[in-house]
Amino acid sequence: MPSDLSRLLNALGLVAIDTVLALAFIDQLWFRDLPCPVCILQRAGFIAAGFGIALNLVLGPRPSHYGVTILGAVAGAAIALRQMLLYIVPGSGSYGNEVFGMHLYSWAFVGFVAIVIGAAIMLFYDRQFGRGGPLSNRLDAFTLTALVTFAVLVVGNIFSTLFLCGLGFCPEAPVGYVL
Amino acid sequence: MMSLPFVLFACGLGAAWLRQREVALGFWTAGLVVLLALFRAHYGDALNIAL
Repeated sequence: MPSDLSRLLNALGLVAIDTVLALAFIDQLWFRDLPCPVCILQRAGFIAAGFGIALNLVLGPRPSHYGVTILGAVAGAAIALRQMLLYIVPGSGSYGNEVFGMHLYSWAFVGFVAIVIGAAIMLFYDRQFGRGGPLSNRLDAFTLTALVTFAVLVVGNIFSTLFLCGLGFCPEAPVGYVL
Repeated sequence: MMSLPFVLFACGLGAAWLRQREVALGFWTAGLVVLLALFRAHYGDALNIAL
């Protein structure tokens, strides 16, 4: 796989994670569906997974960067799975809104599994690792936009979590902002 | 406390942008450890499933 194609696919992957994080913000701010603590941790899981993709884009593709993505996604999947198990028994309730018939934590689990599969498939293409670094130091507009959006969403989550939880732990079922 | 993983990941992204790969991976590792610790602190209880 040429490095250019590898970069494009990584950029598309980061855009997908950007979209997930942005949709979470839309659900929080527009629909006033405040995230529970474990929901916030799932957002952090998406960022942990996206971190490896960002490393691929900035520093060039390496197997270890895909390892970062896979480990972050596995951590996020474990957290999402735990929340699914909380409500697995019929009549035990749920948390938040449904989207296309599934709750956001169920979609998050699907997303994390998709990230693991995608990263594993990318690891098959050895030719992308031929160069020690990125093709060039200049990032194209699409890649740069994906990276900047990712960084903005990470910083946005810092402030969102601070406003929601303050400096301590979050309430189990938040009803408003602490700050 | 809950925002700490995001802070560490943001620092890691900054380090990556400055091409400090090892530092970036260090921040990412710290962020992941804190993330799992927070998960353990919040959701360490046994599942309440009565079958």
